Amino acid sequence: MKNFLSLSLTSFLFSSVLWVLWHFIDTHVLFLAGKGGLFYLPHAARVLCVVYFGWKAIPSLYLGELIGPNVIDPGMYSFSILVPSLISVISVPLSLVLLNSLGFSLGQTRASPLNKRNYKHILLITFISAGFNALLVNLYLSRNNLSFSSAITDIEQVSAFLIGDILGATIVFILLAYLLKPVLRQARNQ
Amino acid sequence: MKEFYRNISDALSMLDGLEQDLNIRHFTPNELKVFYTIIIRAAHNEHGSNITDIVENSGMSRSTVYKTLKKLSLEKIINLHQSEEDGRESIVVLNS
Repeated sequence: MKNFLSLSLTSFLFSSVLWVLWHFIDTHVLFLAGKGGLFYLPHAARVLCVVYFGWKAIPSLYLGELIGPNVIDPGMYSFSILVPSLISVISVPLSLVLLNSLGFSLGQTRASPLNKRNYKHILLITFISAGFNALLVNLYLSRNNLSFSSAITDIEQVSAFLIGDILGATIVFILLAYLLKPVLRQARNQ
Repeated sequence: MKEFYRNISDALSMLDGLEQDLNIRHFTPNELKVFYTIIIRAAHNEHGSNITDIVENSGMSRSTVYKTLKKLSLEKIINLHQSEEDGRESIVVLNS
């Protein structure tokens, strides 16, 4: 129970903080304003939390996905994001299921086909989940005649979702590696 | 709770691998100047440049250049070889 609470709180905070940071950059940082779709930072929270905490992180991640657009900027989307947010969170476990069915089960040793400790494997999960997210969210939007205020749901938007999730998650991974450098170095020397 | 820390530790191991591969290391402005000089010199001479050249082109003192070269060599960013023409001089070669 204690473990569930810790991982839920961590996932929720991580997801929310990344969303707030992304939203701030998208609305306030001059040369990046309006281009937030090209670097969607919160996808990193989806990938990292599901990979390291498992399915238990899904409820808190979902709550984190909903809190920003509903509480911080309620007028951001012209449609309900209940289903698209759920699809986005589910895209990571879906990619893990796909990889598992292909024989790449997730583990934490060098012998594991998909090693949690290898960033290249985490990047592979990021790419596949970004693909699922781009396809399924836009499929849902187009089937229900929904669209963002300044865009139409087309193949361009699918590509923007894909690039945005991959780029955003990669930026967060590199930033974390840089910010946690002293901790990583200390751990390595011990 | 142990499981939570184990998961965090796995995540840190992943980031550690990324940090090592990206060579995200801390260099002072003087060290960076020496490093950039080595890179620029390497563009002119692929066989490496001698330390005297680097001292002259970087505008740094000999001791700063030596300390930086030692650090870069320890981090396996450069290799230091003894010059065949002048045994007192070392040749700096960038690791690819």
